[in-house]
Amino acid sequence: MNRRRWLLKMMFQALAHRGGRTVLLLAVLAMASSLATALWIVSLSMERRIAEEVRKYGANLVVVPQAARLDVGSGGLNFGSIAEPSYLGQSEVERALSTSGITSERSLHLRGALRYQNADLPAEGVDFAEIRRLFPWWQVKGAWPAAGEAVLGGDLATRLKLKPGDRIELAGTAGPIPLRISGTVSTGGEEDGLLFMALPELQQALGLTGQLSQVRLMVTASGDSLKSAAQSLQRQLPSAKVNEVRQTAHTSEGLLAKVKLLMMLVTAVVLVSAGSSVTGTMSTTVLERSKEIGLMKAIGGTRLEVLLIFCAEAALLGGAGGVAGYLLGSGIAHFITRTVFAASAEFIPWMGAVSLAVSLFLALLGSVGPMVSVFKLDPVRSLRGE
Amino acid sequence: MAVATIETSGLTRSYGEICALKPIDLSVPEGEWLSVMGHSGSGKSTLMNLVGGLDRPTAGALVVGGQDLSTLTEDGLARFRREYVGIIFQQHHLVPYLSALENVMLSQYFHSVPDEAEARHALERVGLGHRLKNRPGELSGGEQQRVCIARAIINSPKLLLGDEPTGNLDHKSTLMVMELLKELRAEERFTVVMVTHNEEVAAWGDRTIYLTDGVLVREERTRS
Ligand SMILES: Nc1ncnc2c1ncn2[C@@H]1O[C@H](COP(=O)(O)OP(=O)(O)OP(=O)(O)O)[C@@H](O)[C@H]1O
Ligand SMILES: [Mg+2]
Repeated sequence: MNRRRWLLKMMFQALAHRGGRTVLLLAVLAMASSLATALWIVSLSMERRIAEEVRKYGANLVVVPQAARLDVGSGGLNFGSIAEPSYLGQSEVERALSTSGITSERSLHLRGALRYQNADLPAEGVDFAEIRRLFPWWQVKGAWPAAGEAVLGGDLATRLKLKPGDRIELAGTAGPIPLRISGTVSTGGEEDGLLFMALPELQQALGLTGQLSQVRLMVTASGDSLKSAAQSLQRQLPSAKVNEVRQTAHTSEGLLAKVKLLMMLVTAVVLVSAGSSVTGTMSTTVLERSKEIGLMKAIGGTRLEVLLIFCAEAALLGGAGGVAGYLLGSGIAHFITRTVFAASAEFIPWMGAVSLAVSLFLALLGSVGPMVSVFKLDPVRSLRGE
Repeated sequence: MAVATIETSGLTRSYGEICALKPIDLSVPEGEWLSVMGHSGSGKSTLMNLVGGLDRPTAGALVVGGQDLSTLTEDGLARFRREYVGIIFQQHHLVPYLSALENVMLSQYFHSVPDEAEARHALERVGLGHRLKNRPGELSGGEQQRVCIARAIINSPKLLLGDEPTGNLDHKSTLMVMELLKELRAEERFTVVMVTHNEEVAAWGDRTIYLTDGVLVREERTRS
């Protein structure tokens, strides 16, 4: 029979022989690794959820021309009152974004006034594809606009008594602009008082080709890394002002950091207590088996060979504990995220490796100490049961 | 005279202050059956452990099977044991969770490769063909000792050591075990060193040496 297979069979028999203790060890290993896994998955899931929130709440960096002022305190993205309008060069911003290496979603905006029935009508040029992707909370009644079409803020539509399907004629610096209203939008924010049209069309109407008044960025970063992203972008764009937008997500981030710390502490406590429990059980086992160890040496096993058998047995336990811990831990993570955070946990396969590593580490760490002391004994003394 | 299997001169083993074995000169020719007698604490086990490469001498020369054991490393001694020596213990020292067959195969595992057919044959030779799957706890003392013998001879050792192998057995089992060892030696032609308290058991050997407080005080040839 194959040596390795025979050894494996022998180890299973050894584990089965001490069934109660094997089950106890497995339970401790599975619990420790499952908790470590579960807490890790939960914090990853939370992190991802907060990243989603960041997207949901909109931009976290806003680039505006140097002269414009961003009123952060009002909570919205207020353009302020611009006495002398200044603009950002679109190509300049694109270049800065690519050289600074910031990964982000972005939306480009140009704000200006068009004339409608002898009054100024605040208009914003945007890319509707970007808007649909990045501002999912926009509720458009009617249809999203095609070329030559516009969406009207809900309040504005009411005030002007316009509805989807209506045709209007606006005037810009470059002449009349006929537009069809394809739909109305209500967000509960300043969007309700604006007219939205395609960015190039507004740029042309205002004679501001290639000019922007605002770029909103959704950088997938938070805290310090967001700050440094803002700084590096600022260096690339000396003529602009890069502002960090404070949002609700920041609070969640602070909370997440605290929850993570708590989880790490809990994990550490679990690992230490599980470790000492495993060490205790393992050392009893190894001491009980000192005669067996002595016998193996007496019939010709070298110290390394015998040690490897016992390590393999511990690894077998650790491996089984790790697999069980992963399954259990994923379950716990799902339970926690569902009941406590009302979110769904991620399914993270590589967490299996984490669970396995934790369990193996505990099992081997727990047995190394007692093993080394027993293996230093000569076979005669081991056989006597010393 | 045949080649010496065991050759010692000035062989000494002390545990700190206690000198368990005073300098001993001993020569055991190949194929001889040597019985070792002496009262408790006289150093019989100490001598046997040295000869079997389980322990190291404090001083003196110890050559077994042409190997100078004092020059071997720890692992070298382990290899010497598995290649050259078969050991039978008074306490059997069978692995409790392995069957009789697997206990024999464990010895094969450390020697080379577990071979079930060979192990079964060894157990059949010691009359345990019907108890292959039983664990030590399910066997009588005499049966356990026979498993121990099967395990000791499975790798065809040149030297068979027994430290009171019949110490725990009744008269009938003792006879059975001695009979068996005699048969096996006739077939395998290994050298035997056997520690015993029992004059009758010692008489199965070719020669008996007597130890007192670590000193070889007397030796006797039991048959010509
Ligand atoms: N590891 C040890 N440490 C200290 N002293 C030891 C050790 N092993 C044996 N001795 C001592 O060496 C002496 C010889 O011991 P040994 O075991 O060889 O006796 P023995 O003849 O086999 O006795 P028994 O018939 O009781 O088995 C004893 O006095 C014993 O106390
Ligand atoms: Mg003894």
